[in-house]
Amino acid sequence: MRILILILMAMISLNSQGQNTKKNMTGLLSGANEDHKVTVVNFTKLETIINKKDNILYVVNFWATWCRPCVMELPDYMEVNKFYHNNPQFKMILVSLDLAKEAETIVHPFLVKNKMDVEVYLLDDNKRMNQWIPAIDSKWSGAIPATVFYRNGVKLDFKESKMEKNELIKIISKNL
Amino acid sequence: MRKKIINLSLIILLAFTCQVKAQKMENRSDHIGYKIGDVATDFKLKNIDNKMVSLSDYKDAKGYIVIFTCNHCPYAKAYENRIIGLNYKYASKGYPVIAINPNDPKAEPQDSFEGMKLRAKEKGFTFPYLFDEGQTIYPKYGAVRTPHVFVLQKVNGKNIVRYIGAIDDNYADANDVSHKYVEDAVDALLSDKPILVTSTVAIGCSIKAQKE
Repeated sequence: MRILILILMAMISLNSQGQNTKKNMTGLLSGANEDHKVTVVNFTKLETIINKKDNILYVVNFWATWCRPCVMELPDYMEVNKFYHNNPQFKMILVSLDLAKEAETIVHPFLVKNKMDVEVYLLDDNKRMNQWIPAIDSKWSGAIPATVFYRNGVKLDFKESKMEKNELIKIISKNL
Repeated sequence: MRKKIINLSLIILLAFTCQVKAQKMENRSDHIGYKIGDVATDFKLKNIDNKMVSLSDYKDAKGYIVIFTCNHCPYAKAYENRIIGLNYKYASKGYPVIAINPNDPKAEPQDSFEGMKLRAKEKGFTFPYLFDEGQTIYPKYGAVRTPHVFVLQKVNGKNIVRYIGAIDDNYADANDVSHKYVEDAVDALLSDKPILVTSTVAIGCSIKAQKE
């Protein structure tokens, strides 16, 4: 019995050591957005960001500050992001569909106010909606919120509509 | 150690709640609603002047520009002047605009019937602005966002769906539009030509229904 406890304790300490190194690594890898920076991109650029062939699961949420269901689900997303943040194979990306001219005046203050330490891009490509909406998912009507899951440029799942925290976790844990 | 236990119990808790809720989540079905060529249903909905309006009230219409729109959505607001413009241009040619607010005011208080009256007055709407009370009509059409347009053509007394989608290709700037989808569709119908682009997608506000 004593041996068993010893083994168990050794395992836990090893594990937590492992986690510490992981934490240090992801600090570098994930680059938590502590400055609440909003990067304005077009779809061509966004594609290169979410379709990286780096074995990371990308959880990409399309939202806007004015979109009530989007804003309602964001606290859950932030909680889930915090939970998986240490996993080097996980990355959450928010894509704002606010107006580009509001990146600094509305989106950035929104991120600061809600303490959102997550990578945020603003997709400024209005006139090509009919290309990039179907490119994200052929079934997407364009209603937000919408969330898409990628790894190595392969789409793993897509959800149009507000998602419950448990559903989000379920999809992530299935694909991690 | 304590942190580890907290982490562990969190994982167990999450896993457990996942399982419990998992079944409920599968209910969301794929989009239903009209496709191009389908016969669209008529309706009887309350207008902002408290009178009931149906498509069949428009005896001389050649068709309709049915637009699901609302008060609160920035995309819908950005298009209000262009919707007024569509009615101005096409009502006299036989294609009046019929606007319908599909949102449940319990889910989005700004989209109440009173709010509709106010917004229509502020903007000087020249077309009916109907309230989809009980949310029975928008699911039949398959509207999912605001604004969402359905151009209907009257053929032998039936209203055939000819175009579904956005008004044009630039919500943010009416002066920088390259494709006026709705105008192109109605112009084609009026001149008896095929519609080149029969459906488009665009970002919009999801239609708000109250969760049970």
